[in-house]
Amino acid sequence: MILNKLSKQGKGELAFASSFFLLGIFVAWDTSKMDIPQDNSIVSPQTFPYMVAAFATLVGFGLMLDVLRGNHGTPDGDEPGDPYTPLNFKTMGIVAVAIGMHVILLEIAGYVIAATVCFWGVAYAFGSRRILKDLLISLVFAFVVYFSFSKGLNINLPSGFFEGILK
Amino acid sequence: MGNNFAMLLDGFQTVFTPTNLMFGLLGTFLGTLVGVLPGIGPALAIGLLLPITLTVNPTSALIMFAAIFYGAMYGGSTTSILLNTPGESGSVITALEGNKMAKAGRAGAALATAAIGSFVAGTIATILLAFGAPVLAEFALTIQPAGYLSLIILAFATVGTLLGTSRIRGLIALSMGLVIGLVGADLQSGALRLTFGNLNAIDGIETVTVIVAIFALGETLYLASRHTIVQASVMQMNGKAWMTREDFKRSWKPWLRGTAIGFPLGVIPAGGSEVPTFLSYGVEKALSKNKDEFGKGAIEGVAGPEAANNANAAGVLVPMLALGLPTSATAAVVLVAFQSFNIQPGPMLFQTNPEIVWGLIASLFVGNFLLLVLNLPLIRFWVLLLKIPSHYLYAGITTFALLGAYALNNSTFDLQVALVVGVIGFLFRRFGVPITPLIIGAILGPLSELYFKRALQISQGDWGILVAGTFPKVIYGILILVIIGPLVWNFKKTFAVKK
Repeated sequence: MILNKLSKQGKGELAFASSFFLLGIFVAWDTSKMDIPQDNSIVSPQTFPYMVAAFATLVGFGLMLDVLRGNHGTPDGDEPGDPYTPLNFKTMGIVAVAIGMHVILLEIAGYVIAATVCFWGVAYAFGSRRILKDLLISLVFAFVVYFSFSKGLNINLPSGFFEGILK
Repeated sequence: MGNNFAMLLDGFQTVFTPTNLMFGLLGTFLGTLVGVLPGIGPALAIGLLLPITLTVNPTSALIMFAAIFYGAMYGGSTTSILLNTPGESGSVITALEGNKMAKAGRAGAALATAAIGSFVAGTIATILLAFGAPVLAEFALTIQPAGYLSLIILAFATVGTLLGTSRIRGLIALSMGLVIGLVGADLQSGALRLTFGNLNAIDGIETVTVIVAIFALGETLYLASRHTIVQASVMQMNGKAWMTREDFKRSWKPWLRGTAIGFPLGVIPAGGSEVPTFLSYGVEKALSKNKDEFGKGAIEGVAGPEAANNANAAGVLVPMLALGLPTSATAAVVLVAFQSFNIQPGPMLFQTNPEIVWGLIASLFVGNFLLLVLNLPLIRFWVLLLKIPSHYLYAGITTFALLGAYALNNSTFDLQVALVVGVIGFLFRRFGVPITPLIIGAILGPLSELYFKRALQISQGDWGILVAGTFPKVIYGILILVIIGPLVWNFKKTFAVKK
């Protein structure tokens, strides 16, 4: 019945708060399962993690209480726009996918392709619809970064498809 | 004292080689460039530029770093004056008055008082740093592990509870940071924690990855999650960035007062640049003869907080260099920069690496001066950067952040970590949880465990050592006053209202 009183945002925040409570319990569980290689030190490697677990559980519980009492966090408002607008999972999802693609593509297809996809994806999510122009800008950005880092600063980035051409 | 002065002169000698000056110049330019970009604060700017310094020799890299450090601060103030949004907590006040001044056609004066004020504050604060940090370091040599632990706990408590609007949310961020710090092999026994059998996780989570991801990716996800993306409007700037004699007369006292407020609050772990900038604003408003101008664009309201912000940033370097304890996100990145060259800040630093630490301090002076010379004439160039469309800006920030996360170890694992931390950063922003305590927790967590174990090893397992001796007692006493005091005070206030 208490849950019914909470708004949709409140429920999300309650879930967020409980996740810290659960995180604390999880850390304690992981610590209890810890393999201790021949322990002859005075302080067990488990002591500190147990303290952290207790702390996380405690503050997680504290935040749950705080949310249930109706105290909600103030969304970060340092950037332009109204912080209280409902979430847009579509645009956020596109950004997350763009980042994910970068992670997956980097070692398969090389830096230039991974960075182009990521740059283009985020630009699309942020509302840019000039698909070809964006693609061109993404490519140029990726190339410039690739060259200045791998050639100028000797930082090794996977070259992927362009291996023959870029070396 | 005299010895330190000689060391500082040696430091200047290190800086004044053509190569090192080049890196200093490059650092000021890059720092300002990245700092000006909306959505990038000093901590993220330094984090993003860290990979660039990886292939340079330590001295040159740290000189570049000092330049980036002040450059990013300067850049940030330009953004907060010319855009109608602060972008980070230390610039909220600057944006408040500075933006009003810009609207009234006084952008040039606001930029000038911010730049010159930052220079004055930065220079005074760096002098205090140069002579204060060695003294503190010498004293710190006498601090026992239990004393260090008490200092770290004090830093946890102040950073966790003084930042943001809600105490419990600051502590939530701290607990998340401590958990991140646990990941990997225990330093002494080698026991694995929270690694889930992943070999990459044994070395722990890279702090730079955490910082870059939580700021850059978290921010991008958060802004994308809001329905509409608003392009911030850039103020027009007519004429030169300079101030009149009258402006100067109204500015110099706020600069000095801002420095006096900002520096000490940076040295003690008071939790970031919010408190000093707000305090400075309050003081200027109270002392001003033109009270009615406040809220409509009073130059004192830009001069004071900007000086406080810069002096605060330099003040934070004192405990960072002398004790190895970062108490702000920016100091945390600088600490990581040191560590990436296998240099451990702390009381021994002044003895083991004098040329590096004095070179760094000297380059803080030089960087600060270069900025004053470069920044005002180049202002039109920086303004152009503000006009980058936000979709390209955030696309660039995201891609560059991922590059930084990857370049550190050439490992895809770091990128996966970055994605997860980015999502955490999004959730924190959404639910009003401050970011800095997480970073401090992730950095100081492992360190606190180290001192905890050392203390108990000295005492052969007797926990009483943690509060033995004068120093820990004093620190815990302060802790009780700072944390419990306000609680009692609040309680009294509510009680009084009820009565």
